Amino acid sequence: MSPIGILLLFGAMAVPVVALACLRWAAKNGQLQNGDRGALLPFDLEEPLDKATDQILNRKSAKS
Amino acid sequence: MKYGPLLFLGILLTLASSWVGLVLAPYKQLGGLLPNPATNAVGVVSYFPEARKGEAQQGAEHYRSLGCVYCHSQQVRPAGFGGDIDRGWGRRRSVSRDYVHDRPVMLGTSRTGPDLTNIGERQSDYGWHYTHLYNPQITSKGSVMPPYPFLFEKRRIGPGGVSTNALKLVGEFAPGDGWEVVPTPAARQLVEYLRSLKSSYDLPEAPLPKAAGDAVTATAVQ
Amino acid sequence: MPGELADEGQRRAMLAEIDSSCRAPVLFFVISGLAWLLLGTLLALVTSIKLHSPGFLAGWDFLTFGRVRPAHLNAVIYGFASQTGIAVTIWLMCRLCRVPLISGGLIILAAIFWNVGLTIGLIGILAGDSTAIEWLELPGYSTPILFFSYALVAVWSIITFRLRRESHLYVSQWYLLGAILWFPWLYATAQIMLILEPVRGTVQAAINWWFAHNVLGLWFTPIGLAAIYYFIPKVIGRPIHSYYLSVLGFWSLALFYNWNGLHHLIGGPMPAWMITVSVVASVMMLIPVITVAINHHFTMVGHFGKLRYSPTLRFVVVGALCYTATSLQGVANSLRSYSEIVHFTHHTIAHAHLGLYGFFTMVMFGSLYYIIPRISGREWPSLGLISIHFWGCFLGLVLYVVPLSYGGILQGLAMNDATVPFMKVVEGTLPWLKLRTFAGLLMALGHVAFVGNLVWLLARVFGPYRKPVVAILSGTETPAIAGK
Repeated sequence: MSPIGILLLFGAMAVPVVALACLRWAAKNGQLQNGDRGALLPFDLEEPLDKATDQILNRKSAKS
Repeated sequence: MKYGPLLFLGILLTLASSWVGLVLAPYKQLGGLLPNPATNAVGVVSYFPEARKGEAQQGAEHYRSLGCVYCHSQQVRPAGFGGDIDRGWGRRRSVSRDYVHDRPVMLGTSRTGPDLTNIGERQSDYGWHYTHLYNPQITSKGSVMPPYPFLFEKRRIGPGGVSTNALKLVGEFAPGDGWEVVPTPAARQLVEYLRSLKSSYDLPEAPLPKAAGDAVTATAVQ
Repeated sequence: MPGELADEGQRRAMLAEIDSSCRAPVLFFVISGLAWLLLGTLLALVTSIKLHSPGFLAGWDFLTFGRVRPAHLNAVIYGFASQTGIAVTIWLMCRLCRVPLISGGLIILAAIFWNVGLTIGLIGILAGDSTAIEWLELPGYSTPILFFSYALVAVWSIITFRLRRESHLYVSQWYLLGAILWFPWLYATAQIMLILEPVRGTVQAAINWWFAHNVLGLWFTPIGLAAIYYFIPKVIGRPIHSYYLSVLGFWSLALFYNWNGLHHLIGGPMPAWMITVSVVASVMMLIPVITVAINHHFTMVGHFGKLRYSPTLRFVVVGALCYTATSLQGVANSLRSYSEIVHFTHHTIAHAHLGLYGFFTMVMFGSLYYIIPRISGREWPSLGLISIHFWGCFLGLVLYVVPLSYGGILQGLAMNDATVPFMKVVEGTLPWLKLRTFAGLLMALGHVAFVGNLVWLLARVFGPYRKPVVAILSGTETPAIAGK
């Protein structure tokens, strides 16, 4: 096998190892915790959770 | 997830993987391909595919510029995969070496019109090509290929009579009494290019079928 | 992170400032994007008519099919889709990072360069300087201008990301960052190796399709998904179905999508391993596609009633559905047995439009319905035009994609049967191509309605205003919205 082939083979094997190492680091570091906080990021004071927005085609109700 | 650098690293590494796999590796494997030497009966060595010269090469520029690639492919799929060889579009499949001279490589992704890999072998008649380019309806009724009148010049017949290269147009397509239609240099170059499109040479990785000729005898243009 | 604001009044003022700071730069990108959309639609109609009536406008070289078609593609891809995508990216970045837009002048400068570069390039294509490399037709003398403009936007985005006031990252931000970092790499590789210093032979084809598939998968798709991940929760007021699933969806997309491109060369003159690798990666795309589908569609469960009143939600949900559909179709197209039939046919064109129009464009339209009133402080003046826009585009899309996909399969079956004369294959496609022109007219109607509504919104000196922006800026409580 050519040197480049060997390099590619090891490179390919390194990808999952690096990925697993990153995952382990992320888990230990708390990166995966408190995901709910992240999920709530689109909401803010003006347009909070549980408030439907952009209902502008409803001619009767007030616009939001 | 809140760690920016990890995100950056992941984003760069994922694309790096396919950059190595689908850009660098093909470059290593195919970027150095050379034409294949072949010796003929009298011992003269020539290299296939041959590089295009002169007007044929200039014609490739018109093929590119007029966007022929959007309706015509230049690749013959292997026997048993699609109807390419059965249709007579080529006698053998196309391989990477067939394209070492092409800039750009115009494999094409659409067959609104037929494949042109081997059009030079299938149709070598100048008159047919000129008439077809002038108005495809003359040679191929019902075609959706656009006419290319701007590749031709309509002019008054000179005192010396009808020019030798004037198109033979009859009926509704005739230019009218006292007028003739002649190809411009662009049309001439384009036709030279089309006539140069041939994959009728042997390559070690894609030999022509043994009973050469049999496969194509039954095929007409289109 | 710079300090988070504690005081509620300050936080409200900041929200208002984020939106108002986006006004000029985002609107500049939006308006130029929509101008290209109108031009691109016109070019599309000409292209479509030419395919069933080849004599149409055939007398001039600059209007021949082979030039109008790439002009259409580049006008909608780099003119409309990319500029609108950048506009949405900028606004989402500011909102999710909780920072007002910095250096708005830089963004406007970038937009000017982008439009100048593209105008030069498009004139070049019509004049005959097209490279004939699909998705990269813009001549080499115009693309450095585009790249410079893009670099400004990318640097701006990364600086904004670094300045963020919120330590957590939302799904949309991962996708946006991905798009921003992936695109220059793709574009630079393709430009250098195909146009500036072309590589030899079929390596060009490999790089061409590595780029062309990735410009969809790693540029438009992440921006579209980022917008869906933001706007569905935003409009219905509920968080996404599963935050953890979205992590899986993002990383599997990042890992697999970029290996897909060479399935465009199935049957072509390439070594088998290259194509096989791409087929495998294309099938692996089922993981991110199903993950994202579950996340998007399950978030909507129980909230379908809101589709009636929110134009944003309508467009975005149609876009999300089309994403699922086009991705599954894409997986099928990548299989050798199916590709043998549909490759080289109009089926591929239908597939491309399901992706770029059904998914990306619809999501962008939905996003603009949300963003523009908030950055301009004005409501949409005509609800009727919104309906025309939606139904024109939606019906046009269905009439385009479904019949042409089917017609493409018939075309492929006929073409693979060597006993069918080629002219019969051509004849068989004509009804579908004519229907496509009609579908295109419906889409064009929708686009004109949308642009008309936007012009009306921007031109109206008096109301209907959303909020008195100045009052919010001074930190006082927001009064009721000033209506009509």
